[in-house]
Amino acid sequence: MSHSSSPFLRRRRTRRQVVGGLAGGAAAFTAGSMLPGTLLARKAPAVIQASGPLTYWGGLIFSDAANEMLTDTINQWGSDNGVETEVVMINQNETNQRVSAAVEAGTMPRALDMGLDLALLLSTSGQLQDVSDIYDTIGAAQGGWHESVDGAVAPEKFNGIRAGVPFGAGGNVLFRRQDILDEIGVTEAPATWQELSDVAAQAQEGAPGVYGLGLALSNVGDANLMVSALQSYGGRIADDEGVTCTISSPETMAFLEWVNAAWEAGLFPPGATTWDGAGDNTAYLSGQAVFIANTGSVSIAAQTDDPELFEATAYSALPAGPVMQVAPIGPNLRAIPTSTEDVDTVKALLEFLAQPEFLGEYYKVAIYGPVLQGQDEMEAFTSTPVLGGLRDLVLNGTAPGAPDVSNTAYADFNSNFTVPKMIQRIVVDGMSLEEAMAEAQTSGETIYAKYG
Amino acid sequence: MATTTAPPAAATGQPSGRLRSRLRTRTRRNLLTLIAVYGLMLLVAVIVIFPIYWMFSISLKLPREIYRLPALIPQNPTWDNYRELINERGYLTNIRNSIIVASSVTVVSLLISSFAAYSIVRFRYRFRGFVGRLILLTYLTPGSLLFIPLSIIVARLNLGNSLYGLVILYLTFSIPLSTWLLSGYFRSVPPDLEEQAMVDGTTQLGALFRILIPLSLPGLAAVGIFTFTAAWNELLFALIFITSEDLRTVPLGLQYLITGDVLLWGPIMAGAVLAALPVMVLYFLAQRFMVQGMTAGSVKG
Repeated sequence: MSHSSSPFLRRRRTRRQVVGGLAGGAAAFTAGSMLPGTLLARKAPAVIQASGPLTYWGGLIFSDAANEMLTDTINQWGSDNGVETEVVMINQNETNQRVSAAVEAGTMPRALDMGLDLALLLSTSGQLQDVSDIYDTIGAAQGGWHESVDGAVAPEKFNGIRAGVPFGAGGNVLFRRQDILDEIGVTEAPATWQELSDVAAQAQEGAPGVYGLGLALSNVGDANLMVSALQSYGGRIADDEGVTCTISSPETMAFLEWVNAAWEAGLFPPGATTWDGAGDNTAYLSGQAVFIANTGSVSIAAQTDDPELFEATAYSALPAGPVMQVAPIGPNLRAIPTSTEDVDTVKALLEFLAQPEFLGEYYKVAIYGPVLQGQDEMEAFTSTPVLGGLRDLVLNGTAPGAPDVSNTAYADFNSNFTVPKMIQRIVVDGMSLEEAMAEAQTSGETIYAKYG
Repeated sequence: MATTTAPPAAATGQPSGRLRSRLRTRTRRNLLTLIAVYGLMLLVAVIVIFPIYWMFSISLKLPREIYRLPALIPQNPTWDNYRELINERGYLTNIRNSIIVASSVTVVSLLISSFAAYSIVRFRYRFRGFVGRLILLTYLTPGSLLFIPLSIIVARLNLGNSLYGLVILYLTFSIPLSTWLLSGYFRSVPPDLEEQAMVDGTTQLGALFRILIPLSLPGLAAVGIFTFTAAWNELLFALIFITSEDLRTVPLGLQYLITGDVLLWGPIMAGAVLAALPVMVLYFLAQRFMVQGMTAGSVKG
């Protein structure tokens, strides 16, 4: 049939007919689709109910394979044990908002994955169950917990309880473009921050359009890497008790001189002071940065999207400062809220998820370092360079916040991005180093005063 | 000796030299104005269209080209991002969910707010003005302040993780604004028309449906589009209250393309292109209503 003979095409539709037809179609579509949606929601009430299936909020990471493996394993465990399970993968960027709403509404899941900061917040407000018993059992069965991990989740920091079972350690690893560095004869990773900026300057000279240091200086979590750099210069955020802010010091001044010199030398991309959380990733993946510090997601992205870049990348620990090396690790925890009634069932699930048979496979596709000594020789950590880097971080890294005390004031200080803001005042607003440091001190004092 | 003299310009109908020069100057000036106006319009068009073009261009690129070769024109255009969205990430389900939610909110909101606006504009009762202002104040409360109290209500009413829950939630924001906007439209229609209809025997409700609403169609279309777009784009409440993958709306589907600190630019842009299409079609179809005079022809003798 020719087009011209089609009755539909022969009849010219008015705008009103088209609108009416579409509205009718949309209404019919809506009516038809609403019903299954409603039934589906009734059938699987998910998290907004106090009872029902064992709901687990898994932390979504940049690895579909890892996310699917976690979901399948929990569901398989449920099926084997006659427990109805529902796994909801939560984007880790939104965990705080969801948890805030769920705590207030009394709709927390039976168990969930979370980072250390959220665990700290929830445990101090009595929202998490103590899991000391399974923590000890799992540790004893697999060679013991790594010292840095054990220290990070010490009960004295979490209202006297073990707030969760660590399942993977995160932290920053230094990524470097070895192909560019080879051209200037640099084969080893820089050992100090000063060496890092020196090498970055050298590399930048030989590679036009490329910036030496793809490190964020903006108001995002990545920029708090500068806190570690500051501490490695001997600067401290607060005193040994973690009560009084002590950021103003000659050591902090030495750090500021280093970062300011690097900025003046043009080693940072100009947008680094306004980057979002993906700024360093984008800079590295677009080939515009020689060095970045990242948790490993960039490596996974490069592996599939830019194999050439992946091959050209080498990894190392964060550099040391004149005083010490600060490379904080951040264990991720599986925790049980106090609202959970069937605690033993959930603990059984968490124990199951800590089995080496599962984690051995999981680590291969995830972006975590080991938490137990028995995991060190797992294939994931011996065969994948970036995961090997994360293992080294766990073995040699420092506890979160160290040498400062990682308490709620410290967390608040960091979530206000006080150190990145101090740097911005110098490099963007042209403030003197002394003035910027004094301003940060005042800001820090206000924050620490809130927590006594 | 015969002399020939040129006939006066007025007699031949030709403009005189001075006039010609003046006309030429004016034409040149008009031409320059025209060029300036068109140039400005072109500039504005480029400013408006460029982000849309850039979005579409990125959606046709693979990651390496996005990051390494940020050219205006894709060098190796591909539909892979669209394929990934539709085949692997269930984006059509997200679109279906958004259509359900946004169209339900629009229809219900228009219905309820028409009655509410009619009541405020045409009836006389105590605290009428106060109620009108209160409705607007309800709309002005930021959603980010309300999400925790709302989550308690949603949990108690068992409305969480459902599309109808989301519809009800969105209505609480759309009805006040729609009522306020429609009040303005209704107020500008002369009440004499309804009174005339009632003299002719229709009821108050008949006057609303047969006189006021047909005359306010442009207003209803504008409010409908505004409501639809707001519901289509809403993220915060969908993020908090929807947990099941198959109930995610379009903004939520796009949000889940950002995992940690990694942004999947190709699929995100492809998703943005697909998400923009229904709203663009809607605007295209309703543009006449939007610009039509509200009461044009209503008082013809």
